Amino acid sequence: MLEKILTDKFRELLRLVFADISNQQDRRDEEEFSKDEIRIKEQLLDTVEPYPPDTLLEDDFLVAAVDGSGTDNLMLLDDIRVHLLSTATVVLDTNTRSEKLFDPISAVALEECLGGQPHLDVHWHSGVRNDAQKKMAETLETIYPLKDIIDIILPFFRDDSNGAISSISDFTDTDYEKHLPELREMESLISRAQMLTNQVVHDELRKVSEYAAARNVLTSDLRPKYLLLDGALSIFMHFVKKYPSMPSGFILRELASLARKEGVVLCAVSKNHTIPFAHRIAKMAQDVFGEGTKWFCHLPCKDDPGGGLHIIEDRTYIPPRLAVPYLFSFSQDNRPSRIDFDRIWWLENVLVRGDPMATRQNEKALFRDLEFMSRDARWYGYPVSLALAHEACKLSYEDLRLAREICKDVRHEIGLDTRKTEPLRADYNL
Amino acid sequence: MLDRDNLGELFGKVGVGNQTMLGIMGNNRDVSVGEIFMIYSQRDGHERVFFFRVLGLENYLRQVDDMARVAGTLMVEGDSYLSGIERNMLLSVNGRMLGYAEQRGDEWRFMSPRRLPDHLADVYRPIRGKSDEEVCRMLCTQTDGNVYVGDLQVGETTLDVPVMIPSKFLPMHVGIFGSTGAGKSNLMMVLIKSIIDSNLDYLHSPDDEDKRISAFCIDPHDEFAKGVDKYGIQSVIEAMDDGTRKKVINDFYYLTTHKKATPREIKRYTKEIRILWEEIRPRDLYSIMEFTPQMSSFIDSQFNLHRERWVKEILDMEKDPDGTPSGTLNAVQRRLRFLERSPIFIESGLSVLGEIFEAMESGRILVVNTSLMSDMEQFLLTTIVTRTLSDMRRALKSSGNLGDFERQGNMRLPQPFFTKVKTQAKAFYGKGGVGDESEVRDPRALPVILVTVEEAPSILNPELMRGRSVFKDISRQGRKFNMGLLVVSQQVSVLDNVILSQMNTEINLRLGNEREIRACIENASVNISGFENEFRVMSRGEAILTASYREMPLPVKIPLFDTVFERDRDRYKGKGAKKSEKRVL
Repeated sequence: MLEKILTDKFRELLRLVFADISNQQDRRDEEEFSKDEIRIKEQLLDTVEPYPPDTLLEDDFLVAAVDGSGTDNLMLLDDIRVHLLSTATVVLDTNTRSEKLFDPISAVALEECLGGQPHLDVHWHSGVRNDAQKKMAETLETIYPLKDIIDIILPFFRDDSNGAISSISDFTDTDYEKHLPELREMESLISRAQMLTNQVVHDELRKVSEYAAARNVLTSDLRPKYLLLDGALSIFMHFVKKYPSMPSGFILRELASLARKEGVVLCAVSKNHTIPFAHRIAKMAQDVFGEGTKWFCHLPCKDDPGGGLHIIEDRTYIPPRLAVPYLFSFSQDNRPSRIDFDRIWWLENVLVRGDPMATRQNEKALFRDLEFMSRDARWYGYPVSLALAHEACKLSYEDLRLAREICKDVRHEIGLDTRKTEPLRADYNL
Repeated sequence: MLDRDNLGELFGKVGVGNQTMLGIMGNNRDVSVGEIFMIYSQRDGHERVFFFRVLGLENYLRQVDDMARVAGTLMVEGDSYLSGIERNMLLSVNGRMLGYAEQRGDEWRFMSPRRLPDHLADVYRPIRGKSDEEVCRMLCTQTDGNVYVGDLQVGETTLDVPVMIPSKFLPMHVGIFGSTGAGKSNLMMVLIKSIIDSNLDYLHSPDDEDKRISAFCIDPHDEFAKGVDKYGIQSVIEAMDDGTRKKVINDFYYLTTHKKATPREIKRYTKEIRILWEEIRPRDLYSIMEFTPQMSSFIDSQFNLHRERWVKEILDMEKDPDGTPSGTLNAVQRRLRFLERSPIFIESGLSVLGEIFEAMESGRILVVNTSLMSDMEQFLLTTIVTRTLSDMRRALKSSGNLGDFERQGNMRLPQPFFTKVKTQAKAFYGKGGVGDESEVRDPRALPVILVTVEEAPSILNPELMRGRSVFKDISRQGRKFNMGLLVVSQQVSVLDNVILSQMNTEINLRLGNEREIRACIENASVNISGFENEFRVMSRGEAILTASYREMPLPVKIPLFDTVFERDRDRYKGKGAKKSEKRVL
């Protein structure tokens, strides 16, 4: 292969592709961006005014974060696949008074509230026996602490309809009425059943595991001010049914609704975002505010004052439904990240209709807190609670190797056949 | 089952490694290179405690792959912090496995490192006052003996675990290596005191022959008797009541060139060193200086002709005898001239050699002030004493009864000397009486004799050891005669291989340079490779004791003589000699 990769022919092939992208996409994007440039520079972009390092907060607060990891291939037993899921919850105290900034709360206290950390779970299903959907539904029901399906689905409809649908009876005479029977079972909430590849199943289980961990934080006595998730607050919709195509979409909205009720700021941070022209916005921030300035940039949707941005007009999931994304950068050495907030919370707590100045003040206060929690020297510019949660939940290659060994041991202990646990390709040294 | 609480404080877990080198992940404590940790392991039902010596340390921050980057961020981003870092601050410790202890019945046995502790085994850091007893029990086979050297060192502190050398291994020679200021003199004083203590123990329990040790200790700076600081060997002697003192040193322990120049309190126990020319053998000179084959054949011929008068005859000669290459006489005379000038090697008068012999056969110590002697005088004295004592024991070893012994003695030793000491010798060597038919004793039932060779490279170098050196025989055969050399040297690299290979106990103090460190590691009786860094950071009085009869290299802190004397001074007083300080292993 290498001899092919090193050829001029391969370079030529790449040249053509990049030229093509540049001709077709970049040019169009560039045109769109130029329409947004002034608005971004003058209205959407602003600086973070950080707390001084020795700040003493009036009220120290807690920050919680949840992250998850896993593999869809802990073990393969013929056509049955065993998934391994891990989640970790980290709760930090701003602790400005004792000068141990963002100190993790005691492990004992954390375990008392949330159980042992990190948390491990396994799931199995057979992707070829038409039972994937059923099995996945069973697992999701087990994982998520809220068991009543109606309670799970209602928050989405309530938020999406601006409160018009707040009970089952409100479905009458709506487009959703005909789908009501499907909305009563976890299994039928999975409306992308035909696409249940291992990866899709695994991602869904992982997402719900993380949401379950997050829900446990909300229902605990911990009362954090912020609850951070890894990723985005996107919901994938069924284009025909006009509601989430997977249970995780409903569950996320249930979670957001509970967070609002508990007075917790729910947000999701993603390093890998697909915001077009993020690098250009970063460059613009540098030019406007100077190098090293910490900044944020609101990415409005069509319903916001001033309407949506041209650059994201045809991006399906940006801005995400029922969420508000921002780009931010708290460290000049790193590329900007994205953070999503629950739109309903944002409308209630950040946006002040008709008063952009007041809105900006709310945003600044929010990003001031977020920046404060992103100064750990190990991951400067990224929220430390999320970084710690990531460190706690991640499964290394060695962890997985041992987990597979233990699978083998356990099967042996309970008298089942001792099959090889390595991936099948290992048999042929591939 | 072992009570793990007695091992010390729980420090960490075994991480990676093999049966030789281990990596441990431990708490962020103030650990130093050289500390000894204990690893409690249970594998296949075998309870073992592995001993591990720290050779390297590294700060380890969990969740930090690039420490330099984090440090840089802390510098550049002045507002940064490290959340909950205390619990993630660990110490990555690597070092050598020294071996492991395993209980068999009531006894602990110690084995060379040939096994590995269990996965993630607990690592304990010994604490003085808590772990001493348990460590003492587990290491008893590695630390017991009669001659106290110091205390087991764990990093910068010590445990109350005395490290001793068994007297039965002293005839297999002891090396003390250390550069100037490493603590050799203090160590010698501590050893002399330990030998006195061992002899005192023998007086209290005469059945234990092992405890009788004699030592002929060269003191090149005249420090041992008076001491370096407050106390010296004289203090030990003075702390004894008359009866004990008489038994321990008889009427002298101090030998010097000029008695008049000796302080009054020491003078009482002093004798002047005087050796008669007739007590010198050609071989003694061959052992300390180089002679051409012509010269030595000339000397040998003169010795055969004149026997004990050979020195005088040669010095009185005026011209080369017939058949001798011209110039030989002159060259030999030049080499012997120092005897004429020497106050200690005398043509006639009273020799002290007989008394030295008597002292050495009675389990006594002699401190020999050589500070006013020339190097040649010191080396010749050591050689004559060593050769005389070894020839006496050789004569004994070659005899079945005292009659045989007398014949052997007459043959091997200078006539006037042997005539003078033979009655006394028979009293020492005869089993039942002093009659010719009396069976002789095995040399191993006699006191161990330890002869100090100071500035050893001057006489134990490969050039001199190639010839007919007295020390070559002693180093190879001393064991048979229960007689050993205590080789004191600043250098290891220049010593002859014969002596190095025969040496079974080494007390390695701080060394001067890399070459000596390397030589010391190569020469050690147990594998101490990897200890290079240790030698570089050793302080005065710290040593690594290696012995072929022990599996574990023992880090030892040699206490100041004043400290041990103050601790033990009460034990020298008469019958009530307190044995409270005696540590029973």
